[in-house]
Amino acid sequence: MINLIRNELMKIFRRPGTYVMIAILLVIVSVTGVFMKYNLVEEEPNVTEDWKPVLQQENEALKKQLESSQFKTEQDYYKKQIEINEYRIEHDIPFREKYHLWSFVKDNSELILLAGLFTIVISAGIVASEFSWGTIKLLLIRPINRSKILLSKYLTVLLFALFMVGILFVFSALLGAILFGMPEQAVPYLNYFNGKITEQHIIVHLIIYYGLGSIEMMMLTTMAFMISSVFRNSSLAIGLSLFLMFTGSQFTALISMKFDWAKYILFANTNLMQYLEGTPLLEGMTMSFSIIMLLIYFVIFQLLAFYVFNKRDIAA
Amino acid sequence: MESIVVIKDVTKVIKGRTIIDNISFDVNKGEVFGFLGPNGAGKTTTIRMIVGLIDITSGDITIGGSSIKTKFEDAVRHVGAIVENPEMYKFLSGYQNLIHYARMVKGITKDKIDETVKLVGLSDRIHDKVKTYSLGMRQRLGLAQCLLHDPKVLILDEPTNGLDPAGIREIRDYIRLLAREKGMAVIVSSHILSEMEMMCDRIGIIQNGRLIDVQMVQEFVHGNTASFEFEIIPSEKAMTLLKTQFSTIPATNSRNGITLELPKEDVPAMVKKFVEEDIQVYGIKEVSKTLEDRFLEVTSDKETVDHD
Repeated sequence: MINLIRNELMKIFRRPGTYVMIAILLVIVSVTGVFMKYNLVEEEPNVTEDWKPVLQQENEALKKQLESSQFKTEQDYYKKQIEINEYRIEHDIPFREKYHLWSFVKDNSELILLAGLFTIVISAGIVASEFSWGTIKLLLIRPINRSKILLSKYLTVLLFALFMVGILFVFSALLGAILFGMPEQAVPYLNYFNGKITEQHIIVHLIIYYGLGSIEMMMLTTMAFMISSVFRNSSLAIGLSLFLMFTGSQFTALISMKFDWAKYILFANTNLMQYLEGTPLLEGMTMSFSIIMLLIYFVIFQLLAFYVFNKRDIAA
Repeated sequence: MESIVVIKDVTKVIKGRTIIDNISFDVNKGEVFGFLGPNGAGKTTTIRMIVGLIDITSGDITIGGSSIKTKFEDAVRHVGAIVENPEMYKFLSGYQNLIHYARMVKGITKDKIDETVKLVGLSDRIHDKVKTYSLGMRQRLGLAQCLLHDPKVLILDEPTNGLDPAGIREIRDYIRLLAREKGMAVIVSSHILSEMEMMCDRIGIIQNGRLIDVQMVQEFVHGNTASFEFEIIPSEKAMTLLKTQFSTIPATNSRNGITLELPKEDVPAMVKKFVEEDIQVYGIKEVSKTLEDRFLEVTSDKETVDHD
């Protein structure tokens, strides 16, 4: 299996296109960094020494809003803010700090979308290209069954995704350190879950943040992989996956305003962050519900991909 | 003779159409088996079934005793194949392509790769990208790719397609060498008859998905009777003589006289007859039939039978 994955990696990294993708990712992170740097100069921080009274005032206001609010989701949000503010005052953790490298890394999690885009391109091509190159014939007459070959291809896609997100994370951190510097003191991230507040190391928090942010991209990558294997057509796989990537959540949001079944749509569940920060798309959705939905989609995609790939007649 | 590939009652139906109809044959160790048929007769389909690229609707194929259907990995381990054109990863070098395939079978060393490269005569260019290779070089790289794991069965689908005469000759000699010295069974498909005649020990003729005939090439070409061209004058007189007295012997007018199909031992008697009848005999020449003639004969015979 390791040899098969090495083969797949060789086929990815011996093509110039892959390096273009990496270069684009690096350039965009750099541009974002420089842009941030110059914009921040203008609105340089109102990091006041006297932040405790500000928070107290904010809490007063929040409490009033909480009383007048009628929606449960809104109430939850206010409660959470109040508790976090109180925790800050109690433990002397300032609520606003200078923009530093970790803030930059966190902001750049938006770019996971871009890493996802490139991963989808790779994923869509990894099976379909073998067909269009005609090399599938030579690949499938080795003493290795088809499932193993397909699995090695999928694992390679996962590795590539990890690699791209890893590049994004590490490069953002490096560039962030150069442009914005280290934070003055190690400020923990306050994690609010099930009504409890816990302190989390910022790096741990960011890794979780990136991991959760990658779920949507992974699901779309898996879908692209499935289309690639079922239809042997990389353009269809890329096209459909990217289309859904950019429109999927909007459509789902639209549907969810009218229909309750929106919660079964893939894109209603890809954002697990909604349970940690903010509020779920629809009432009654929980973390475990979403995880189960994601698993169901994942299994369906994989079953389709493996079934069709194993059954297919490799004819000209 | 020990058979290594056994094809038994194999049928392939695609969308209700029978592409391959109940084909059976064996291929023995150390022989070159030619698979002959017009375009679209089912050669490539049969080859793809042998290597497990497409499913067998009914019947079975075993290679080295293992069924390609149920024990794919064991069966295909013995096989090296080029199916149609040897398509390689063009953005990799020839060497990287070989590494790629070597990694997929256990126990292929670097030395083995180098040895194979030398064997097919690609040592000079092996580190160049495949996209810079000529068709002949790709064909040789394809051959290297299927020889890496010392297969017992070599399957080459149209191996000389697009090669120049020198390249064709090289491949042909090479195939004979592998069969003779390494005891490999080689299955070659082609629709170029002259080539098959020089390359194969035995041929199977396939037409419209049915195996019409399997024969030794020598027997197949010569058949039971031979043709002799009699250079005689006057040929008209000879023809009337033949028609009246020997109506069973097929006779045709040819450029220098007449051509007769008859066993060799009857030739002296025929000459004697001509001399007695005052027909001048200038020469007698055996006309060896080509595979092409026989092939057209066999396939058209079959067709008329079909139409009846």
